[in-house]
Amino acid sequence: MNLGFLCSTAEPWPENAALYQQLKEEQILLSDNASSLAVQAFLQMCNLPVRVICRANAEYMSPSGKVPFIHVGNQVVSELGPIVQFVKAKGHSLSDGLDEVQKAEMKAYMELVNNMLLTAELYLQWCDDVTVEEITYPRYGSPYPWPLNRILSYQKQWEVRRKMKAIGWAGKTLEQVLEDVDQCCHALSQRLGTQPYFFNKQPTELDALVFGHLFTILTTQLITDELSEKVKNYSNLTAFCRRIEQQYFEGHEKDSSTTAAHSSKRSLLR
Amino acid sequence: GHEARPHLLADGPQFPRVFNATSGALFYAFLTHCEQVFSPALQSLLQAYAKFSGAPLIVNTINNCRRAPKGDLPVLVSEDTVVSQPAKILNFLRRQKYNADYDLSAKQGADTLAYIALLEEKLLPALLHTFWIESENYCSVTKPWFASRIAFPLSLYLPGKMSREALNRILLTKGGPPLYSLTEVEAQIYRDAKECLNLLSKRLGTSQFFFGDTPTTLDAFVFGFLAPIYKVCFPRVQLQEHLKQLPNLCRFCDDILTCYFRLTVSDGRQPS
Repeated sequence: MNLGFLCSTAEPWPENAALYQQLKEEQILLSDNASSLAVQAFLQMCNLPVRVICRANAEYMSPSGKVPFIHVGNQVVSELGPIVQFVKAKGHSLSDGLDEVQKAEMKAYMELVNNMLLTAELYLQWCDDVTVEEITYPRYGSPYPWPLNRILSYQKQWEVRRKMKAIGWAGKTLEQVLEDVDQCCHALSQRLGTQPYFFNKQPTELDALVFGHLFTILTTQLITDELSEKVKNYSNLTAFCRRIEQQYFEGHEKDSSTTAAHSSKRSLLR
Repeated sequence: GHEARPHLLADGPQFPRVFNATSGALFYAFLTHCEQVFSPALQSLLQAYAKFSGAPLIVNTINNCRRAPKGDLPVLVSEDTVVSQPAKILNFLRRQKYNADYDLSAKQGADTLAYIALLEEKLLPALLHTFWIESENYCSVTKPWFASRIAFPLSLYLPGKMSREALNRILLTKGGPPLYSLTEVEAQIYRDAKECLNLLSKRLGTSQFFFGDTPTTLDAFVFGFLAPIYKVCFPRVQLQEHLKQLPNLCRFCDDILTCYFRLTVSDGRQPS
């Protein structure tokens, strides 16, 4: 927990607040892209402007080793959870209007997304051999010369596989992982129903997180379309993504800020 | 004719009835993810689920894993079908119409999945730590318990292995910057666990079960996690102390123990 931000409540949100991630076109992977988009969506929803800066070594600059991280004033905070806390300490919150039971529910659904969707993304990009060879290896180490690019990729893959083994995902097949994604999407779709956001009229950090992951899955070109098909099965989820894209991301045409349909590797949201 | 009743085969460490009901620490996701670590206790969770759904289940124990049909336990045998892996066993029971979630709405089904994820992410690490890593607990309670009920020479080797796997899992999933020492990781996982207990208490409120008057899969899972914290007499009990400050969760556990396991609840302390 970054205790530094407890002293910063008096400061307003600076204009030069920046969000760091890996290079958008060539380097960033599915899971990191999803996490970054989730944070960007959250900050947009809070009306806190932030510049997106792409750096090849973003992962290494991050205090926790994970992207994205934000640099606000003299504070550096990484990952959605701590960023939500940080922003709250500065007086902005999306979930203040929720009662205790709703807050518990929100946290539970956020764990569901992390537990199933994020882990499935990591599995696909680091444990599925075809994806690893054709997408992950070329992208992950792309800013670096040979043999560093290969060494970094292998090292990261070894770390991720070790973790997958510890939580029991190493033995899963791709079909089982896709089943889990489907189960998760089904649950999210049921919970969303016909509402515009998960807690009806106003978006919360849960909406930002779900958007980050689903939108990225829908718009990233992988070896096959199996993953995005799982999400497309649920029309209220695709409508949800489109709604948030239109409301919070359209009209930001500058190169340095986030755009939803930007990378050449992605197909546009249909 | 007599209808075939499903038989559940479970392995060696057969806890006495009391510990049984209180040590089922695992639910669905945990079952699929951590079978190695907690397989001897899985039957308790399945028993709770069976009781909630009305499945007529007979529990047989065998002491030797090699005699199980497929070598991994627990295993469900019903007529000609053999089902292993707890997740599949739950699905099998559901398809046989022993479904504890029959009356749940679609949204409630989704909530179940979400709360299970919350339990696995936030409560499970501290539970693993309490049982397998906290050295006073492990040495004085967990290890002797398991070792006394597993056949030699497995008893020399298996508890240590399970302990190492638990530590490995915690360090890989919760360790890493900015937490650099085991003490910091431990502090974080207990903070998370206490917050999770608070959230469960808020969600339960004054209801008898999580979705009204009848217990469902989620209740089996929460019970499976809370009961060991609540009932097992460990030397180091910070989670238990926190749980006791949440009276509705204690009441929830006591209700299930008395109604479904027909145990009398005394002062809450049962010897392990």
